Amino acid sequence: MVESSQPCVPGLFAADGGARVLGSRCTACGTPYFPKAASCHNPKCPGSKMEPCEFGGRGKVWSYSVADFPPPPPHKHDKPFKPYAIAVVDLDSGLRLVGQMVDPPSAMSVGAAVELVVDTLYHEEGKAFTTWKFKLA
Amino acid sequence: MQDVAVLGVGLHRFGKTGDDVVGNKSVTELCRHAVDKALEDAGVSWRQIEAVAAASSRFSGGKGWGLNGNDVVEDIGSTGIPVFNMSAGCAAGGNAFNVGYSLVAGGMYDLVLVVGGEVMPKGMIQTSGVEEATDPEFLRQRCIGFPGPSFWATLARRRMHDYGTTEEQFASVTVKARKCSVGNPYARFQKEITLADVLASPYVSNPLRLFEICPVSNGAAAAVICSKRKAREFTKKPVWVASSAVATLTFEDSLPRGLAGPVPSGPSFHTEVKGAVTRAFERAGIGPKDVSFTELQDNTCYYELAFPEEWGLCEPGESERLVAAGETTPTGRMPINPSGGFVSFGEATTAMGVFQIAEVTWQLRGQSGARQVPGAKVGLAQTNGLGGNATAAILKR
Ligand SMILES: [Zn+2]
Repeated sequence: MVESSQPCVPGLFAADGGARVLGSRCTACGTPYFPKAASCHNPKCPGSKMEPCEFGGRGKVWSYSVADFPPPPPHKHDKPFKPYAIAVVDLDSGLRLVGQMVDPPSAMSVGAAVELVVDTLYHEEGKAFTTWKFKLA
Repeated sequence: MQDVAVLGVGLHRFGKTGDDVVGNKSVTELCRHAVDKALEDAGVSWRQIEAVAAASSRFSGGKGWGLNGNDVVEDIGSTGIPVFNMSAGCAAGGNAFNVGYSLVAGGMYDLVLVVGGEVMPKGMIQTSGVEEATDPEFLRQRCIGFPGPSFWATLARRRMHDYGTTEEQFASVTVKARKCSVGNPYARFQKEITLADVLASPYVSNPLRLFEICPVSNGAAAAVICSKRKAREFTKKPVWVASSAVATLTFEDSLPRGLAGPVPSGPSFHTEVKGAVTRAFERAGIGPKDVSFTELQDNTCYYELAFPEEWGLCEPGESERLVAAGETTPTGRMPINPSGGFVSFGEATTAMGVFQIAEVTWQLRGQSGARQVPGAKVGLAQTNGLGGNATAAILKR
């Protein structure tokens, strides 16, 4: 039986056809944004031109930390709480993205190659709620 | 512009709700104590204060959103003076000091009170209060779960990668901080702690441990500042404000503050902090080598290593060696947080920027007792807060 799942916040990421986060990019200066930005924040940009842009694929861990205690609300997690690693990843596409790791904290290292995935964050009312995460590649 | 002096300072000792120090005192009671002390120290009466710059927050009490300068003024006596309430996260105290300074320097007022105080909720600070997909902080906490200590731990982990910093070296910063706090009557913790104690404390966010992260505290701080003309009426030896600066982060900042940003081409650091400190140096005409000691925002021991390097107080990658050699103690070549810092006080958010002004003033007057920096002439104070706010002030005698 496949449990039914839905994104923890709708409209931020997609799973079908490869995990990716749904952001935007300024075509005038190349700056990537996630979540989508209405206009470019770069003070040196010649003129904001925003287009939708999806970011996924591979990257390298810039650094990481461990949530050894459950974060306060509005975070949601399954019980009992299991410490997880949080990675700050420089994606090959030029976006520095923060996300939970699928792999345990003990497997982590700075510089490790990872890829974007969509995975379960917590369960509620018989449903799995998903988010974007990283997995060691 | 007219010269600005710090005439008097006061603190309410920091503590934890329910303890013997702060008990169940309200933020107004804590502030009243600090203000009374500052007025007494300055030799000024309440009716002489012409304006108030207050550090405001959303954490506790008062008019529904935290410390509110109006409550303090009502409590001490409604004289009808203007009250400016400043909100800048943990930088609010520094921000209030800057606004008070600017009001006096600009010639608007001659005698101004700066005040900050807090009764903190227990546990990890909840950074998002609304369930709205348009709030980036909500998204960060719901979709990832990235509390404040993990932000600091990410920077600490990166330093371990860049410079080979060890967990023992992080822990040794806490040992030094707590040693400074011994005999500081205002610190919440006033006992020494061993390296083994620190390393035995649990991880809050690996690689950072419980004793390496400042807890939340209740406390209050106040400073009376005035024009040069006014200062002459009260004292022969005022402490001078050489400069006060505020900055916010720049587009190039690439620290993981939100969900994502562009991959930077250069190093990643607190651009708001460097901006404020650089401006403070420039405006004072004082360089990093002229600083006798620094009171910086050590939410975690990591910052005692990183900030001095980022501001040019020492060379990149040199801090661990300086800590090991005792150079960051009050009697060393680069004293950092002789007060004991946030790690010894705990953080009462809006009080912190003003607490630093009090410590720097005492140091410059030679009134800091066991933690005195010998011959201190120039002191640097720095805060930073949620939203990418930072402040820096340089005081001299
Ligand atoms: Zn642009």
